[in-house]
Amino acid sequence: MKKILAILLAGMMTATVFAGCGGGGNTESGGSGSDTQSSSDDGGAEVKDANLVDVSVFGDEDNISLKVWAPDKAVSLVKEQIEAFKAAYPEKTFTKIEVVAQGEGDAGTQLMNDASTAADVFSFASDQLNKLVDAKVIAPVAFAKAVTDMNSEACVTAGTLQDTLYAYPETNDNGYYLVYDKTVVSDEQAGKLEDVLAACKEAGKKFIFNCGNGFYGCTFAFTAGVKIDGLEEDGVTQKFTDYDEAEAVKTLQAFSKLMHEYKGTFTSLDNAQVASGFSTGTLGAGVDGSWNTNADQDALKDNFGAAKLPTINVDGTDKQLISLFGYKYIGVNAASQFPAAAQVLAYYLAGETCQQQRAEKLGWGPSNKNVQGMDVVTKSAVQQAIKQQSENACVQVNIAPTFWDPMGNLGNKLVADDTDPDDAAYFSKLLKDTVANVRDEG
Amino acid sequence: MIKSYKFRRRIANFFIYLLLAILGIIWVSPFVYLVMHSFRAESMTTVPYLIPHEWTFDNYIKLFTSAGSSSINFPRWFINTFVVAIFSCIISTISVLAVSYTFSRLRFGARKKLMNVAMILGMFPGFMTMIAIYYLLKAMGLNQNLIALVICYSSGAGLGFQISKGFFDTIPRALDEAATIDGATRNQIFWKIILPMSKPIVVYTVLTSFIGPWCDFILAKIIMGDKRELYTVAIGLQSMVSAEFINEYYKQFLAGSVMVAIPITTLFLIMQRYYVEGVTAGGVKG
Amino acid sequence: MTFVEYKMLNPFQRFAYNFKKVLKSIPKSVGRFFVGIGKAIVKFFTGIGKGFKNYGTTFAKGDWATKLSYLIFGVGDLHKGKYYKGILFFITEVLYILYITLFGWQYISKFGTLGTVQTSMQKVNGIPKQVFGDNSMLILLYSVLTIVITVVVFAIYIANIKDAYKHQVMRENGEKPTSLRHDVKEFLDGKYHITLLSFPVLMIAVFNILPLIFMILIAFTNYDKQHMPPGTLFTWVGMDNFGSLFNLVEGAKKGKTFIELTGWTLLWAVLATFTNYILGMIVALMINKKGIKFKGLWRTLFVIAIAVPQFVSLLLMNQMLQVNGAINVLLTDISHLFGGTETIEIQFLNSTTFMARATVVIVNIWVGIPYTILSMSGILMNIPEDLYESARIDGATPVKTFTAITLPYMIFVTTPQLITTFVGNINNFNVIYLLTGGGPTTQDYYQAGRTDILVTWLFKLSMDTQDYGLAAAIGILVFIVCATISLIVYNNSKSMKDEEAFS
Repeated sequence: MKKILAILLAGMMTATVFAGCGGGGNTESGGSGSDTQSSSDDGGAEVKDANLVDVSVFGDEDNISLKVWAPDKAVSLVKEQIEAFKAAYPEKTFTKIEVVAQGEGDAGTQLMNDASTAADVFSFASDQLNKLVDAKVIAPVAFAKAVTDMNSEACVTAGTLQDTLYAYPETNDNGYYLVYDKTVVSDEQAGKLEDVLAACKEAGKKFIFNCGNGFYGCTFAFTAGVKIDGLEEDGVTQKFTDYDEAEAVKTLQAFSKLMHEYKGTFTSLDNAQVASGFSTGTLGAGVDGSWNTNADQDALKDNFGAAKLPTINVDGTDKQLISLFGYKYIGVNAASQFPAAAQVLAYYLAGETCQQQRAEKLGWGPSNKNVQGMDVVTKSAVQQAIKQQSENACVQVNIAPTFWDPMGNLGNKLVADDTDPDDAAYFSKLLKDTVANVRDEG
Repeated sequence: MIKSYKFRRRIANFFIYLLLAILGIIWVSPFVYLVMHSFRAESMTTVPYLIPHEWTFDNYIKLFTSAGSSSINFPRWFINTFVVAIFSCIISTISVLAVSYTFSRLRFGARKKLMNVAMILGMFPGFMTMIAIYYLLKAMGLNQNLIALVICYSSGAGLGFQISKGFFDTIPRALDEAATIDGATRNQIFWKIILPMSKPIVVYTVLTSFIGPWCDFILAKIIMGDKRELYTVAIGLQSMVSAEFINEYYKQFLAGSVMVAIPITTLFLIMQRYYVEGVTAGGVKG
Repeated sequence: MTFVEYKMLNPFQRFAYNFKKVLKSIPKSVGRFFVGIGKAIVKFFTGIGKGFKNYGTTFAKGDWATKLSYLIFGVGDLHKGKYYKGILFFITEVLYILYITLFGWQYISKFGTLGTVQTSMQKVNGIPKQVFGDNSMLILLYSVLTIVITVVVFAIYIANIKDAYKHQVMRENGEKPTSLRHDVKEFLDGKYHITLLSFPVLMIAVFNILPLIFMILIAFTNYDKQHMPPGTLFTWVGMDNFGSLFNLVEGAKKGKTFIELTGWTLLWAVLATFTNYILGMIVALMINKKGIKFKGLWRTLFVIAIAVPQFVSLLLMNQMLQVNGAINVLLTDISHLFGGTETIEIQFLNSTTFMARATVVIVNIWVGIPYTILSMSGILMNIPEDLYESARIDGATPVKTFTAITLPYMIFVTTPQLITTFVGNINNFNVIYLLTGGGPTTQDYYQAGRTDILVTWLFKLSMDTQDYGLAAAIGILVFIVCATISLIVYNNSKSMKDEEAFS
């Protein structure tokens, strides 16, 4: 039954991809196998549709055995998807495809510890991409053209290093946004940081922003106009775009002033405290990541509100908070014993059907353009908040390992009790030191 | 005069009791907090009050039953740790006793040098050696294997010989000499005379090496990698409070910590007397 | 000072006198230590020279079998009828040759460059495939393994020659080689130390010494985020990593971080050691005071604190010390009892340097005192009762008894432990890493915070920023400091000198 369903689904997807990609994909309908040897240099091997490729891509690989890493919550769904995958390639024998729980956050580290025992196909967060590429443990995407056509441009660009697409986009949602208790903060107030804080203070509740963690702390630098622009030639030094120092210092001061004005309301705490804070009723609003959405919803139930990050008023103008925004990718281990099968499986798992299933069952924001247009995404407040925030964000890719510590420090210093928000010279030095430390100068 | 002396002593004792009670409360309170909140029903991670509002056994029940539905498999981890602890504690104890008996009783050329080397070897901050250890184990085909953990936890045991050597030093030499005259070999002296007298130090060694595997969360993680079913409780508990799991598993983490504390506390309480004797006798000379 | 004069001093003066004596003797013992090391090196080289001479003379005097032993292990022994040993020697040689040809050579031959072949990518049928080149890390590791094995086999080789010659001489004197049975018996008696040590030494050699050599060598390479195997190669760079640690030019962050963290590490070790020692002793004295009941109960209360795995209790402490954590809640509740209305929100871990450092030291007291209490309790029980008896007959007050008997005894007995604890605290990773994570953060340091000590910095450098070479260099420096301190103290300590006291 499952097999039939999978084949049916695959067929349906063939139809949709034609509509979606405007003929960008391979228009040859599958099965003939005559076109097996043709592979363009730039676009990579050819595909059949948004999920499947021609069986000839496997080459002489058979009796295939693979390992897949997926985050714990997705394991059971991925197992189902793999059954469908096996059914879609009845010509091949799959000895074993095992799915192992492995968080996306440290999949890269695990892989680099020992690639030979790691998964063949793995989910990971975008910040690890350049480390993996530098260590040459990740294989480039074999079906680059098709993947590029199907997925949103930003994801593809972020996954491309030195003109090579290195990973299959999986989600478009790895970021943080404003979560609020609708009984405390109104939808309208959620637009401005000043209003959010005022509303929280009035209700005697707190606002959490994890300033001391570089992942969140860099928001202040970005909002101040300091932007990162990939890495220098050496592949490890962070490149920054030019910024207007006077303006940047003013913005940092505005942040610091607000934090000090709302001391007792604005708290810098770990994100694990957000959902708890909502459930105990001590929290009015907080900045939280998409991976905590379920917990936040459980805590707030009907009063759950989600919006993009608010604005902050700097000298009379409202500036949008700019966050760090990442993607999740599916990568193929360069040391895989079955490189072709691993690529085909990664293509399938990152394909349209699987993305849609994950959006429906797990609430993950898809990177696939077709799925992005579906109701499950467009009708979700969270997905919309994330999407809007992603338009005001720096992309979390090509981040130097030295980035996190100094950015966390920046956040810590803004909120610290002994910081004087009026001391412009202090902020100017703080900013310079932060940039210098990220660049590991001196 | 005598009365007032007694009175003064009573006053002094009263204050000592008071102070001990206060200190006792301070030292036990984190543990009490841990136990109380492991029975908490409401909220997810921490709460801004001391005593839970609703109580439940759910955290414990889930801890032992959720194995099928997720990669959190506490019962399995508990058994793994227990097995590893038992074996590494046997091997460690044998190594420690062998090394410390040798250094205490036997005289040979390189003895002093070996003792010095052994003493300083353990002082190297070993984080970077872990990756080397991993690849050595891998070359032996032992990576991602519980045997590897047993080896890691017991391999360096011989370096911690000082305390038990100190203990052996306190056993009078005359015993050995008498036995030698009766024709006993050193092997026989070790097993039949010294060991039976060394209960405190054996218990001390067993205790310290048994506890090790329950606490290490760095080396074990590197060796096990993605083999979650072979995790020990320390890595497991650590993973339960990682960003991916904390909201869902924090209270189970507390329950798990209590479960880990139970065997260790019990062991400590039963063997406290020997522990004190062992560490003391060893410390005097160590 | 004469003995009589010494006896007339009060305990504090005596303590001061002894303390001064120890301080004065430090330069001398340090000097002796280095002279000792120098002598050992000289002895080592003369030993090698002598070895070469013996090697030659033995060959000249040897018969054909002994001479053949120079090429094939064990021939001499087999010829003289010492079969089991000869076979063992021979097997060793065969295994060694197999090891080198099948495994060792491919690595050791690249030891000088740490690899030259870069990893590259190929496309087969449109499917990208990585062609892995040399892996510098594995080359280094397995080279070290090969070198260690070679040294061991060389020692066996020399033993084989010596044994062959020994048996040759024995045959010339008309003696028979000893039987297997006799040898086994010898290993249970005269050579019992070899039997007992072989297993622990083997384990230590493979899993402690070998990785250690590997790590020491890493300090002389450029293994960092730009040179990560298997993708890229790393190579030897000499003393560069040490250079950047001691680079004290204005604005050089790594040097500054290293110097300042070293200062805090030492301060931390001193504070952590002595607070635990003194407070632990006080509590132990209270528990063990005559007339105090429920000694077991009191001790148990403290023991429970150490039964919870340290990372759990520290993590819990970390949460309790947050602005909305249990400690602040408790303080708020207490202040409300006394009519306060404010919510207390003290930033224990993340505001000022002083506050964070004080918190770390205090939490460390909580973590460490139970151990001190356990060991001190035992020592207190062990103080010979007759000492107190005679003091009482002399009419000494309790205070006098304490300062004249208890305190000196404790200090004498626990000095070695104190040193171990001190070194342990220099390397005390858990308390700092789990409690503050190094924070409060600062922009003055390279990848370190205000409470980071050298080991936690080392950990961050190797785990977060992949500066392995730098981390290894720090590791070596920490090691040198710890090892020097403990070698000097141990070799001058009373217990080491009086080793045979009880025997």
